[in-house]
Amino acid sequence: MTQTTPTRAVPRRRGLWRRLRHDYAATPAAALVTLVCGTILVAIAWTLIDWAILRATFDPAAGREACRAAGGACWPVIAARWRVILFGLYPYDEQWRAALACLVVAAVILLSCLPRMWGLGRLAAIWATGTALFYLLMRGGLFGLTPVNEQQWGGLPLTLFVFVATAVIGMPMAIVLALMRRSSLPGIAIPAGLLIDAIRSLPLLSILFTCAIVLPLVLPDFLIGEKLYRVVFGAALFFAAYQAEIIRGGFQAIPRGQEEAAKALGLGWRQRLVRILLPQAFRLALPATINQFVIAFMETALIVVVGFMDLLASANTAFRTGEWTFAHVEVYAFIAAIYFAFVFGLSRYGAFLEARMDAGQQRS
Amino acid sequence: MDRTAPAIEITGLHKSYGGFQALRGIDLTVARGERVVVCGPSGSGKSTMIRCINQLEEHDSGTIRVLGTVLDGRLASLDEIRREVGMVFQQFNLFPHMTVLENCTLAPMLVRRLPRAEAEATAMRFLEKVRIPEQAQKYPAQLSGGQQQRVAIARALCMEPQIMLFDEPTSALDPEMIAEVLDVMVTLAQEGMTMVCVTHEMGFARKVADRVIFMDRGEIIEAAPPGQFFSAPQNDRTRQFLSQVLGH
Repeated sequence: MTQTTPTRAVPRRRGLWRRLRHDYAATPAAALVTLVCGTILVAIAWTLIDWAILRATFDPAAGREACRAAGGACWPVIAARWRVILFGLYPYDEQWRAALACLVVAAVILLSCLPRMWGLGRLAAIWATGTALFYLLMRGGLFGLTPVNEQQWGGLPLTLFVFVATAVIGMPMAIVLALMRRSSLPGIAIPAGLLIDAIRSLPLLSILFTCAIVLPLVLPDFLIGEKLYRVVFGAALFFAAYQAEIIRGGFQAIPRGQEEAAKALGLGWRQRLVRILLPQAFRLALPATINQFVIAFMETALIVVVGFMDLLASANTAFRTGEWTFAHVEVYAFIAAIYFAFVFGLSRYGAFLEARMDAGQQRS
Repeated sequence: MDRTAPAIEITGLHKSYGGFQALRGIDLTVARGERVVVCGPSGSGKSTMIRCINQLEEHDSGTIRVLGTVLDGRLASLDEIRREVGMVFQQFNLFPHMTVLENCTLAPMLVRRLPRAEAEATAMRFLEKVRIPEQAQKYPAQLSGGQQQRVAIARALCMEPQIMLFDEPTSALDPEMIAEVLDVMVTLAQEGMTMVCVTHEMGFARKVADRVIFMDRGEIIEAAPPGQFFSAPQNDRTRQFLSQVLGH
């Protein structure tokens, strides 16, 4: 681009005050809007700070009465109940295993996010090791670790497990469904389309119920498996139906000439797919994909309806005991911070990927 | 692959889209080393014909024989042909997620199974030939249209094809960039490459073509060496077309 950028209405050198006035109070009406919105924002911020910090009780030993007297947030509830919030029903003496399992999941995710690890061999090694470690820690039964049944899993490790398994199983399913729906053979495209549309027409809750309760009635015994895995499969199917449409949208946005050029160079179907089409489809689908991941993370909380104690459900039980029933806002704020950390990390990583894939590709 | 067969032999080629007959009975033989320029009004079937040669379009009837191999719909014969036939498109169609060098080495490495070092050496040789070696590490979007099209030519050449197809290679370019692309194509023609070019660049046709072919409504109306084609066209439709492209 060789055009000169239009000169700014107000050059920088005229000072911060002038610029602020230009941006936020150019007219009396704009000034009024700024004033009203600003007042509301300041009031909210002040109330929050006042509650969460200024009048809050931080002393871990403080009890209900001390909190009541101070009038602000009662953070001792977290100190007293954090193990229930984070690990749910997992046997108390074994919770160090659940904590380590969380670290394993976090390490696997972080390692997979590093561009230098993006090779089939490396990723497979990371995920195989990570899955084995996670299972060893969570299930036990080997090396003298007490076995812990999936029904007793809870809190953060369960939420992470359901999310990661949903995404890892759902993503390949989504790619396969998207490719099937794009097929020129009606015998493949139509069933894929029907499956996608059928799943998208059902609420996730009903799919989870079906997987948890109805499937055992209709499946032969050897296919039933643990309830947790049936539920994860249901969640993955649901994820895949939406993600398949996102990927298909990415495919449709690729100019037709791309595949023609690849054909003309003699590339076969799989080479065209892996080298030319999928990378471009993923790039085009990236913002919507990150969105879908975020939604999938939030939706893990729904597994409570089929009897699992995920992070949110564990938090709910944490303040249900006599002493802390008044402190639910503090507990929710705590898990909100955990959800926020994960989802904010996810969306920042999405932004990093976008920037990386765009490197050098902007139209000049 | 028959070493003595003509580069391309097309007989009785028909192709229709729905009810529209794009090609109605094309017969064309291109000898090895021959340069053929195909022109004609839009919708005359020139692109469809050239795209049938490497089967980006499947024909309905008739036979196409490329380097002696009949294109009969078998994948094996298709793969064999596409390795030997390079194509340059109007819209360049470079792969935007790869650098110029990666664009050029991809097919040689995947299809010809060249080791990376060798593929890169070949790529640099052809990038130099199209006078753009210094852009090897850039992405297509960072180049001008003319540069992109020269990369596209180099990318096709890296497969060391025996035949090159050009489908309106300069039609999407700004006027000042047409010359740099045509220069490369002229060099290629002078080195004896078998070329079929769909183009409206009549100067190029005059300079390098062995034969100019005029198509209209899915048929070849006239085929003649450029001297005769431009100075003494036989058919009314050819004359009318020439007066339109040359007349101003």
